[in-house]
Amino acid sequence: MQNDSLHKFYGWFTFLGLLVGCLVVLGYYKDEYREWKEYQHRFIQEETKRATTPQQRALAERTPVEIRQIILPDLNRVDRCTSCHLAVEDPSYGGYPQPLSYHPQHGQHPFERFGCTVCHRGQGRATTKADAHGYVEHWDEPMLPLKYIQASCGKCHEAGDNPSAPELARGQQIFETVGCRGCHKLAGAGGILGPELDKVGARRSPEWLKKHFLSPASVSPGSGMPPQKLAEKDLDAIILFMLSQTGETAPGYYASMKVIPSAAQGQRLFQQKGCMGCHMVDGKGGVVGPALDNVGLRRTPEWILKHFRDPQSVSPGSVMPRFGFTESEARALTEFLVHLRDQKVALSLPQLLGPVERGHEVFRKYGCAGCHGQDGKGGVPNPNAKTAGLVPDLIHVADGYTKDELRARIVKGQREINAMDPKRPAPPLYMPAWGGTIGEAEIDDLVAYLLSLKPKGEDAGF
Amino acid sequence: MNDTPTDNSVSRRGFFQLTLGWLAAGFAASATAAGALRFLIPNVLFEPSEEFKAGKPDDYADGSVTFLEDERVFLVRKGNTFRCLSAVCTHLGCTVNRAEQGYHCPCHGSVFDDQGVVKGGPAPRGLEWFAVTLSKDNRIVVDKSQRVSAEKYLVL
Amino acid sequence: MNIPRPGQVWKWLLQTRVGRSIFRVGLPESNLERSQAMVSSFLLHVQPAKVHRHSLKASYSMGLGLISLYLLFILVGTGTLLMFYYVPSTDRAYNVMKDLQFVVSAGLVLRNMHRWAAHLMVFFVILHMCRVFYTGAYKSPREFNWVIGVMLFLVTLGLSFTGYLLPWDQLAFWAITVGTNIAAYAPLVGPKLQYLMLGGHTVGQEALTRFYALHVIVLPGITFFMVSVHLWRVRKDGGLSRPAEGGDSVQRIALDQLPTNKSYGLMELARGTTPQVGKNPEDEVFSWPHLIFREILLFLVVAVVLLVLAIFFNAPLEEYANPVHPPNPAKAPWYFLGLQELVSYSAFWGGVVVPGILVGVLMLLPYIDRKVHGVGRWFARERILANSIFTVCLIVAVVLTLIGSFFRGPNWSWQEPWKKPAAMTEGH
Repeated sequence: MQNDSLHKFYGWFTFLGLLVGCLVVLGYYKDEYREWKEYQHRFIQEETKRATTPQQRALAERTPVEIRQIILPDLNRVDRCTSCHLAVEDPSYGGYPQPLSYHPQHGQHPFERFGCTVCHRGQGRATTKADAHGYVEHWDEPMLPLKYIQASCGKCHEAGDNPSAPELARGQQIFETVGCRGCHKLAGAGGILGPELDKVGARRSPEWLKKHFLSPASVSPGSGMPPQKLAEKDLDAIILFMLSQTGETAPGYYASMKVIPSAAQGQRLFQQKGCMGCHMVDGKGGVVGPALDNVGLRRTPEWILKHFRDPQSVSPGSVMPRFGFTESEARALTEFLVHLRDQKVALSLPQLLGPVERGHEVFRKYGCAGCHGQDGKGGVPNPNAKTAGLVPDLIHVADGYTKDELRARIVKGQREINAMDPKRPAPPLYMPAWGGTIGEAEIDDLVAYLLSLKPKGEDAGF
Repeated sequence: MNDTPTDNSVSRRGFFQLTLGWLAAGFAASATAAGALRFLIPNVLFEPSEEFKAGKPDDYADGSVTFLEDERVFLVRKGNTFRCLSAVCTHLGCTVNRAEQGYHCPCHGSVFDDQGVVKGGPAPRGLEWFAVTLSKDNRIVVDKSQRVSAEKYLVL
Repeated sequence: MNIPRPGQVWKWLLQTRVGRSIFRVGLPESNLERSQAMVSSFLLHVQPAKVHRHSLKASYSMGLGLISLYLLFILVGTGTLLMFYYVPSTDRAYNVMKDLQFVVSAGLVLRNMHRWAAHLMVFFVILHMCRVFYTGAYKSPREFNWVIGVMLFLVTLGLSFTGYLLPWDQLAFWAITVGTNIAAYAPLVGPKLQYLMLGGHTVGQEALTRFYALHVIVLPGITFFMVSVHLWRVRKDGGLSRPAEGGDSVQRIALDQLPTNKSYGLMELARGTTPQVGKNPEDEVFSWPHLIFREILLFLVVAVVLLVLAIFFNAPLEEYANPVHPPNPAKAPWYFLGLQELVSYSAFWGGVVVPGILVGVLMLLPYIDRKVHGVGRWFARERILANSIFTVCLIVAVVLTLIGSFFRGPNWSWQEPWKKPAAMTEGH
């Protein structure tokens, strides 16, 4: 008779039963004991210590331990940073060790409207330090190192506009002067030798960008981009500017804040609207209205603002028309005029500039310096190019080209660059055909500018 | 038809093993059920919070009654005291309007005085007052989940 | 000892009016009651009152079918719970997955459990199919049950595939893109089939909605129905397959094994007609408790394995699905990787003909192989041809899957997983 008894299984049954029990308990513990709860307990302890009255102490002790989050439907985010960073709004925690530190300067961007990740990046939905700070696999947007934080201002604000983001403005300036646009398109304008930069801030990390500027070929094999020689501070500024190019569009409410009525915006408007047609600044302009150099000393900002809204209301008999400025525009113009005496502002009417000056502007606008060097001085490497392994300088083009030849060269470009050694790879940089990109009149001005580069008194036989 | 008698009697050791096994498994099963239930209880809500910030104290003039549309409350300032009155009519939930004195409900004509007490119309009870506090960074904080008496107010 | 035994507590409960109104048969004490425990019970009546001893052998069936069934139950349980949070919207699904991990109590464990149970179920269904094949258990009278089994296998793949898309991350999006592209290779109906599956031309919101509907109601409904029929057929076909009685082997009984109340003894059993055809009562035992207890034990094993996996190994979640940024290479779920490898050789032959023939042969197998020998034994000699063919196909499928998993890198190029990948010269 076979042994049908189940006794042989009882031991297994016990063992497995206990094992399942233990595993369930283990699962419970893993779930229950979360990182953020620790920080909250620490915060409650600290608040209890700081309590001066029994009511305060009772209030502190009764603080619930729960996940705190900021819901931002317009930005399509949920930020749970405040589950650990509990004291961001309490100035008395200034200088306290993280995560219980105070967050200064959030007055213009209240947390309940902006959250945290829109500026700091990271993974807002996470509740552990590693995941929230975003330095984990499969999260493309880790937190920005603090020195680059101004990059995020560019999401909503124009780069030059924001007095609180000077590094961003400087980065943009450097971008325009060094000539990046010669090879890279940004916001639709620029050259085609390199990739477009509109989303580079979303795709590349600060570390990659730094390496790329210092030695492009090391991170981008086969790249023809010359290494950039920039001072440390300038390097950081341009990295910051690159990081601000994320291709994100700020939705409704946030986009309306895009234009800070700043002096820079005011200057732009001042030039756009042609104020110098009637007013003089720095000795240049019209005489129909008063010179504006010291208007900041003579009039209060409130008066100036009212004047922009309705000139006749504060200046009866004035012939200045009502331009219909928006409130933001009026404020910007006021800012500009008030600060006019502080700054050396280079203003000029377009029709006052000569072709050479305009051509210089075209040179700057299309980033020619990126390949031909600052002011056409050259010095940019083009490995294996017959022209001494460099992109040719433009100082002496007047000797080698007539006006029409130079024009033709700019319009048609030069795709094939003669190589020094045919066995080595072809030179990576070439002259694109700018005919379709640079306007007719602009090319004329550019030619005038280039021909003027030859140092006076020199007469080089070619 | 053979009645194969299986040995149903259990040794003491077997009994312990069996009981322990059943207890452990039973515990695991109930813990799992409890876990499933806890899973279903939300830890965070995606509704607008009942507690909200209402700007700086200086944003409100002395003697003003400001209607905050999104939150459906009136913020009342008198001197240095702040109070917050619900704008939801206690009759059927319409939003009441500020009148010269007090509040009127446009739906069925309920009338409330400046203290929120019902003075006329079908409303069964007065408008509710909410707790007002000041945050650490100097903002007015209203908590609609805390109802207070009309006597309570925030003093700066 | 004054501690009441569980049986005693139960007995007391059953004496109450309420207890008796719910449980019509208490804890069985007699054989009649043991039979009734199965037959009269709603939950248990798919099981027979008595089961053959051979069917209880772990070494025979290894409980693979049962394991698959348990995994199905666990999947339904965890899946239903997950449904309380999941939203099949391309905007919200991914965020729900993140919330499950960070904010929902037991969210991570439940999601992990669901995913591991899903992978294990596909695996164990395949193992179960192999076991049934190797023991010849698809032969008469079990032919149709085998066909239902193959269909269940396909439905299981469908359930896994539809569920794979739901997290809406890069892994999900591209796996389903690859999978539906393979489907499009079918002649004539391919593109239409893909259009129907996706509710459009691309993997987008429509696809997500459809896959969700398929995953939570359509395919589970079909599964439950077919599983019921499958289990029903097991019963009606005579229980689990087992070696023929007395024909294939000679059973010797020792003298001391004789039942005591007989005045004569059996010396030997030889082939021939007996009053009890095919059933020896001494070889049958009551399901209660022999089958039930083993079933419970097996469930505990499955529970332990799943808990360990769910607690210690997280289910993957990659970046948010990005249609303009395919990973290189984009890979189908593991059970389709062999297919993807085949497709890389030839879309038509590899993606349509070979799989089509394989599935066709599998389904029609019991009608193709009509030999009656070798049922109920592993690797029976008589079936060496069938077993060899099956084994070869199995090995090829495994090898193809392994190649697809580990030996294919960017652009589906050959790579050795132990070597460092070559530098990507794509540029940016």
